[in-house]
Amino acid sequence: MNKTLLGYVPDRSPIYAIHPFVKLFFLLVVSLFPLFIAAPEWNFGLIIFVLLLMWYSRINMGIMRIYVPVAISMASIIFLAYVILGGYHPEYAQIGQLLAIRVYWERIRDAIVVYFRILPMIVMMVFFLNTSRERDVIVAMRTLRIPFVITYVFAMALRSAGMVIEDFGIVRQAEQARGFDTHGKSLPYRLRKYVMYMIPLFALSLRRAEEFSNALIARGFAFTGPASKIKRADFILTHYHFRRLDALLTAIIGLAFVALLVLRYGFGWFTLSRSVFLPWLETLLRHR
Amino acid sequence: MPPIVEIQNYTWRYLHADVPALQDINLTIEEGSFVGVIGPNGSGKTTLAYSLNGLIPGQYQGIKEGTVKIAGTEVESYRPGELPQMVGVVFSDPEAQFTAMTVEDELVFGMENLGLSIPEIRERLEWVTDLTQLKPLLEKPPYEISGGQKQRVALAAVLAMMPRVMVLDEPTSMLDPMSRKRVFDVLARLKRESHNTIIVIEHNLENLVPLADRMILLHNSRMALSDGTEAFFRQVDTLTEAGVYPPGGIAFFHALMKHGAFAGELPLTLDAAVARLEGLMSHE
Repeated sequence: MNKTLLGYVPDRSPIYAIHPFVKLFFLLVVSLFPLFIAAPEWNFGLIIFVLLLMWYSRINMGIMRIYVPVAISMASIIFLAYVILGGYHPEYAQIGQLLAIRVYWERIRDAIVVYFRILPMIVMMVFFLNTSRERDVIVAMRTLRIPFVITYVFAMALRSAGMVIEDFGIVRQAEQARGFDTHGKSLPYRLRKYVMYMIPLFALSLRRAEEFSNALIARGFAFTGPASKIKRADFILTHYHFRRLDALLTAIIGLAFVALLVLRYGFGWFTLSRSVFLPWLETLLRHR
Repeated sequence: MPPIVEIQNYTWRYLHADVPALQDINLTIEEGSFVGVIGPNGSGKTTLAYSLNGLIPGQYQGIKEGTVKIAGTEVESYRPGELPQMVGVVFSDPEAQFTAMTVEDELVFGMENLGLSIPEIRERLEWVTDLTQLKPLLEKPPYEISGGQKQRVALAAVLAMMPRVMVLDEPTSMLDPMSRKRVFDVLARLKRESHNTIIVIEHNLENLVPLADRMILLHNSRMALSDGTEAFFRQVDTLTEAGVYPPGGIAFFHALMKHGAFAGELPLTLDAAVARLEGLMSHE
């Protein structure tokens, strides 16, 4: 198994045949699809497609279970925001009443549309983070000729997130060893005492920053002067080759996006009026 | 050999500190020599390491007196990014010095900063991974390997830059005995096969003494003693006064010497001590 940003991918996975740039391109471009798709059934289809890609990449699909509470929380918040606290318009059609709150079809429809626009983006990000390492992100960005400093800062931000989590574990263990433990206490109490973790964590971060900047200088990295303008060899790119398959996949993703725009704005596809699911749901709710 | 490190009347005091971290240091180190630096905590060893590669005064605020020259040039006179080509530093905490996502990227990072081409990087990578036996770990993230492996990665990353002077600041302080030995095995091989000047700051004398051509004792921010390794350990009283205890074999023969039971060169390794003792016993 190879460790990725969010999990592990088996040593033998078809995902390794794909250049990191293609994965990043897929993330960036396909994540835009839901913004142009209003009909929820299409976005649902996109979710299924990405899940199939994850399965094909041999990602342990069991990890998706941890995102179920996230999906449910998100649905609850959107439902609350749109249906309960969404207000009303004279043209809205009331389809029911929830205690003293009038429930309008348009607010339910909007909540569903928004939810199914956000959900594929999250699934896409989960797919990317489960199939990519920090190194892949660097390779993808360097392939795009993004300046080294930006690439490096981005990569270090990814790494420092892991370091902060590790440091948090150390601080917590140290404080537990000194008799400070919030285990089993109420949430308000834990939130109040959180500062006990935050102060040493902040101090540790400052020390890490000092050590890290010393290490950068010791490795000959210069922020100013002629050494900062040296052309880097990008040795990392020698391990990756942009093959015909990568070019083909990049073209397919790009063309799919163009096709989406043409179908959306040229032929009116993916709009609410073309949705099959929404009229069916409206009929169902009205009959109840 | 010409001197590669020349320190004259050097005093450094950190900003807001009451006493200098280093005071009146005069030190000359010849190119190609292997120097051990010892001393109790707070004696200024790390400050000395930072002074050699320009982190002091570059990264720290304080008051400097005297001069620290590397290859005849004052450290402040080097332009940013130049001095690491001359002086490489390996810090005590290996994890704190990692700058990349895989072992290979870690080794390559410094070489890319020097502007080396891909064939040059490939050649040096081959050499350094062979020397430090890191080939099987190249694909792994440096923060997921063992402590000993981490320190070898840190050492290899500096070695790959081929600095003329290598300073190792307590490189084995966080390691188990086996990992310590492996780090010193690399240093021993480096001593045999290259002409690098190696300065090792270390508390663990068992591994250091057999390799060192010369030893330096820092005590209370001053250079209390500096001599060839054998002559250095003859001055056991000065060492123990500073809280430094020589390896068992040396201490034993020094005690014999004091009682008039032994005269001659102190054995610096365990094997040499055993041989010397066997010689003494057979003589009796």
